Amino acid sequence: MHFFRKLARLAVLTILASSLYAQTAANQAEPIVTALSQQDYGRALLLLAPALKQAPGNAGLWTMQGAALAGQGRKQEAFVAFRHAIQLAPDDIPALQGAAQIAYDTGDPAGIPVLEQLLKLRPGDVTSHGMLAVLQYQQGRCADAVVHFEKASALFATRAPALDAYGTCLVRVKQLDKAAEVFAQSLALQPDAPRARLVTASVQLIAHQPETALATLDPLLGQHADASSLELASAAYESMHDTDKAVDALRQAILLDPHNVNLYVDLAVLSSTHQSFQVGIDAVNDGIHLLPNAAALYFARGVLYVQTAQYDRAQADFDKAYQLDPNQSLSVAALGLATVQQNDLKRALADVREKLARRPRDPILLYLEADILTQQGAEPGSHDFEAAMRSAKEAVALRPSLEPAHSVLAKLYLQAGQFAEAATQCRKALEIDPKDQTAVYHLIQALRKTDKKDEIPALLKRLAQLREDATKEEREQYRYKLVEGDSASK
Amino acid sequence: MQGISSRDVKAQQRPVPSGKPFHAQFTDVAKQAGLIAPTIYGGIDQKKYIVEANGCGCAFIDYDNDGWMDIFLLSGTRLEGAPPGATNRLYKNNRDGTFTDVTEKAGLTAVGWANGVCVGDYNNDGFDDLFVTYFGQNRLYRNNSDGTFTDVTKDAGLLESGPARWGAGCAWVDYNRDGHLDLFVSNYIRFSFEHAPVPGASSTCNWKGIPVNCGPRGLPAGRHLLYRNNGDGTFTDVTKESGIAAATESYGMTVVAADFDEDGWPDIFVACDSTPSLLFMNNHDGTFREEGVVRGVALSDDGMEQAGMGVGIGDYNLDGHLDLFKTHFIGDTCGLYRNDGKGSFDEMTRAAKVGVETSFTSWGAGMVDLDNDGYPDILFVTGSVYPEVEKKLPQYPYKTPRVLFRNLGNGTFEELETQGGSGITTPHSSRGCAFGDFDNDGDLDVLIVNMNEPPSLLRNDLNPMRNWIKFKLEGVKSNRSAIGARVLVHFGGKVQAQAVVSQSSYYSCNDPRLHFGIGEAKEVDVDVFWPNGLHEVFRKLSANRLVTIRETVGVIPSKGWKS
Repeated sequence: MHFFRKLARLAVLTILASSLYAQTAANQAEPIVTALSQQDYGRALLLLAPALKQAPGNAGLWTMQGAALAGQGRKQEAFVAFRHAIQLAPDDIPALQGAAQIAYDTGDPAGIPVLEQLLKLRPGDVTSHGMLAVLQYQQGRCADAVVHFEKASALFATRAPALDAYGTCLVRVKQLDKAAEVFAQSLALQPDAPRARLVTASVQLIAHQPETALATLDPLLGQHADASSLELASAAYESMHDTDKAVDALRQAILLDPHNVNLYVDLAVLSSTHQSFQVGIDAVNDGIHLLPNAAALYFARGVLYVQTAQYDRAQADFDKAYQLDPNQSLSVAALGLATVQQNDLKRALADVREKLARRPRDPILLYLEADILTQQGAEPGSHDFEAAMRSAKEAVALRPSLEPAHSVLAKLYLQAGQFAEAATQCRKALEIDPKDQTAVYHLIQALRKTDKKDEIPALLKRLAQLREDATKEEREQYRYKLVEGDSASK
Repeated sequence: MQGISSRDVKAQQRPVPSGKPFHAQFTDVAKQAGLIAPTIYGGIDQKKYIVEANGCGCAFIDYDNDGWMDIFLLSGTRLEGAPPGATNRLYKNNRDGTFTDVTEKAGLTAVGWANGVCVGDYNNDGFDDLFVTYFGQNRLYRNNSDGTFTDVTKDAGLLESGPARWGAGCAWVDYNRDGHLDLFVSNYIRFSFEHAPVPGASSTCNWKGIPVNCGPRGLPAGRHLLYRNNGDGTFTDVTKESGIAAATESYGMTVVAADFDEDGWPDIFVACDSTPSLLFMNNHDGTFREEGVVRGVALSDDGMEQAGMGVGIGDYNLDGHLDLFKTHFIGDTCGLYRNDGKGSFDEMTRAAKVGVETSFTSWGAGMVDLDNDGYPDILFVTGSVYPEVEKKLPQYPYKTPRVLFRNLGNGTFEELETQGGSGITTPHSSRGCAFGDFDNDGDLDVLIVNMNEPPSLLRNDLNPMRNWIKFKLEGVKSNRSAIGARVLVHFGGKVQAQAVVSQSSYYSCNDPRLHFGIGEAKEVDVDVFWPNGLHEVFRKLSANRLVTIRETVGVIPSKGWKS
């Protein structure tokens, strides 16, 4: 982001030369401005010392002090001087610009309010928008940042890192089509960068543009294709319902990189999606042969065993996965899944609680505990119900993005007759996963118990649409059935 | 995605047994009663198409008005053609615990893929008629009052045109309160052997990795129909103008018509397989609005589709409102829905401890008082739709036991796995079932359709006996069968609601005499809400008898009762 610094520095000096002169007694300011313009910061500071003693409330002098200190590389002191000037004159543009520049250079979030103030005074200042966008991006405030990225887009057109930051923010705020466009713009600036190509294709896939993603990947898919490109291509083919090619690409990727655990897991998922469980199990077996200590492979095979009702084998695989990687919450989740598939909620609860004793603040374990207790039919007012409520609340507090935990909490609130709280949790769940049918349904049920029924008709339509979409999606997903010894067949 | 919705939910933990004795014992007396013909329905070891899998219903009907319940059993056929004896059957009650097959004499011999039956006096001549749904042309049989029936489908204007429909559930319902029974028919899927996929063809044709018959998912859903009775023996299709056509497409199955919101007008509930169930609320102007989702009976408590098949209707918590119980596929709980009296339901499956059972594919069901203690129990029949799976996965047998839940009287139920007798524990692949008192001994027996086996007739030997009372209603201004009437019985400080319906359970029709166990109470007060809106009250009716009430006339002598 060096270009911001140059732009900003030029702006500061230009403005110093004009506006400070007006603020400060001409006889005092003139030699200081001259020294600053000649980049003689030592002399400027010498001249400023008596001037500030004489007029400590003069914002212009403090701004010049900041500029001189900044010129000497004494950024921290310069920032203090600029801040002092801003306190004396909140609309002092040179001081605001100076402070913003330093904060931007050091990635200091204190620059955000400074830039916001600056933009109030100069709303069309593209440079300030760009600096603010970057600072907000660095702070993870993507929803705010994308607005300023957009306003500063003219500055970014030829700068790949800035475009990447913008694109990343767009992904985070789920503006996927726009993100794909921005990453494609970035790729156009660096067409020979394979990583940029992979990232762009990934985003295009997330944006449900598999054809575009394949076109992006095309230069990487020749004779010298690597496993990563093939893995992505496989996902693109599958999205285009070309399961033959998806399987071929994955198998080719495995040949190129047989020690890549993810590839076997991908093949397992693909097999599971098409209800070709044995094909998936065979593929994972190959992986386990080469990678006998890969917990993810045992986990994947366990899931496939559950789906073929081989619960004992599933349980053994989940145990093995947990043994290999005790920190992997997912295998614990699967362990619970296998147990409950056998209608043994009691055992599932005991398993989860045993793990919780060791990791009491694991949000997934807390969610699972709440979920199992709910499924056991814990009644409002009972000890189990209270425990479920406590765990669900803790799970969402520890990991606000854990959508199923919001869903369970909503269900508990519904059962407890706390309909407003249930509605709130449903809304949170829907913020994370707008396709969550359960959350929409629970929201309808919560609202029907309150006086706020106006929203219900729209929610009913939304639920019907979600059901339709889900059915369509499932139908497409399961259109193919993989066959042993063959890539795929309809 | 498999062919039939199942949430793969976990059974809730079984509570500690109550230790209370259960006095109803069920013994299968079908053989000695003369019900020996098997119900032919598709392949025995394998079902190639879903048409073979869903089976059919049955009915208790007093077709000769002698006061004793006769039996009507539906039948299917086979893909390769009907074997000898494949027909619906009517059995006359000999009043001695046995029955005589009078099918041929009654003119009811019929071969085809029959599904549902609903019983009602559509022409108000005092004799109950039959409507039977088919994969293919549905049939209306008029009771000729002389022990015979005539197929009047064509004369009644019920012949269908276009591709064959798969008629499923049906219900007689006087939706416009003109005193004539109208007819609602649910349709399951649009199916043709020519275009139907075969086992293993797609994901909806596999279960647990084993190729099985396809559907209903992946196949186009049926549309439901409403026919208005013109009062002259003919019907007019009013599906569109009544608003029924506007409902979402769904795999419709059992239909129950009753006044769920207690506004005096009948509503219609349709259990739907793998799609949201439907609740049509009556607008009082000849139209309906579908509100299943918002009223809490369309989906599971998680908002998911379920394989709704059978429906029990009753008042399990004695609050005077009609609750619903819906059966589902293996891996799912059945659903218990508590009515608040305004037609809004809360799912109480787990709260009522019915969620302890998820092991069976479940069909016909009743919410009925089996031990006359005053609290309606739940009984449902079960059986897999995939006979071929058992060979590879023995944990999923084709024949499974009946399921009995005793009402503990505190809003919860207790599953009795062994206490109900051999009639409960013996496995069959059952479908429809009907509840009624075939031997007029004051307790409820159960008639059950078994796939490719003779039916079961579970005689209830209740000992010690507790008090009870039955009501047979006769409409005057209302339709003669009094279908749609709601009855509140007040006994011992409690109140229980029941309704006269022409179909419930699974594609079946119960004994139309409403049976109330009343425990230790010796007499009851009764509110009758007649289908045409009249409300009558009868006080201090003594227990242990059938009370016949004619609209506006009052209590009249009962037929066929020993005492």
